[in-house]
Amino acid sequence: MAVYVYAITGESHPLRLDDLTGVRGPDDHLRVVRGDSLRAVVGEAPEEIKPDLAGINAHHAVQERLCEDGATLPLSFGFVADDEDAVRTVLEQRGEQFAQRLEEIGDRVEFNVKGTQDEETVLRHILEESEPARRLNEATRNGGGTYEQRIELGEVVANEVQARQQAVAESVLAALRPRARSERLSDPSQQYFVNVSYLVDRDHAEEFRKATEGLMKDRPDGVELRVRGPLPPYSFV
Amino acid sequence: MTVMQQGGAVPGAGGGSGNLYDVLELVLDRGLVIDAFVRVSLVGIEIAKIDARVVVASVDTYLRFAEACNRLDLESGRKAPAQLSDVMEKTAEGGAKGKSKGALTGAVEAFTDSLTGGREEEPEKRPARDREHRSQSRSHERGEERRSTENGN
Repeated sequence: MAVYVYAITGESHPLRLDDLTGVRGPDDHLRVVRGDSLRAVVGEAPEEIKPDLAGINAHHAVQERLCEDGATLPLSFGFVADDEDAVRTVLEQRGEQFAQRLEEIGDRVEFNVKGTQDEETVLRHILEESEPARRLNEATRNGGGTYEQRIELGEVVANEVQARQQAVAESVLAALRPRARSERLSDPSQQYFVNVSYLVDRDHAEEFRKATEGLMKDRPDGVELRVRGPLPPYSFV
Repeated sequence: MTVMQQGGAVPGAGGGSGNLYDVLELVLDRGLVIDAFVRVSLVGIEIAKIDARVVVASVDTYLRFAEACNRLDLESGRKAPAQLSDVMEKTAEGGAKGKSKGALTGAVEAFTDSLTGGREEEPEKRPARDREHRSQSRSHERGEERRSTENGN
């Protein structure tokens, strides 16, 4: 019977699964597939897996519990194996690789930091502080000015926005990097001008969180930093 | 025109702190991948990522920034906050939902759509270059529209 695979752990992991339920819902109890020195946490596979919130939540809750209790390799959402034998085969064939990753993860957790910026706030600041932007804005308001002036205004403002975001991003990275074992930085996107994950020693998680709180106090007007963690080390497995 | 691409491993959704949205990208896009197993199709999730690609330095972006500045009422106080990404979003992806909303709302909607099957199936893992072309060509079209409107004024 097909099984949904949640995570891989070492043999010493306590695997407290009794009160956990899987992606199929409240009656979806989990079980353990045993390899030589590795364990996989699995559940019965749903007939059809949809990436709905309940399912993703359940997947994530399983990872959170397992990671609380010891080194865990959380699988990405949605992996199904033909049967338990197929899982055992993978545990055996790739045992060395998994064991090495488990050791690297050790007793560490992930923190994710995302930065967003309120558009109107930053534009106001730019118009207040940049003489060229202010002049061009005055010239092009109410349908005035030329096409070239509008382009120039946009270019000045776009560059300013980017420079400001980059400065905030760099200060965030500079403050947090020394507190982490490892860093995974995503490219900036329209949503987040900074989006970065850190692998942090569990013993230092509280310190790390405090550091992020310090950053939030210092952040410029209109910038929001969202910090999640401690999380299962999704970005570092 | 200088086009600078940003993008890559980008969140599928965002939201207020303390809920699942901030970790969606991690649960869906990261974590261990075992190719010996079959993976459920994450139809629609990809859409949010396409939305997230940004053409920062394009004529169209410039015009939209200019328009946003022109619109600001500098005399009055702050109005309801909008996401910076509103400008970017319109530039990067015309078809995205949530144009007039915060980017986060838009992304969550895109995600929610994927849950309800409200969007057409997208080819999984479309190469980045395709997305760039798509974004850019749409940007151009939209840029043309903007210009003709303005000339008509």
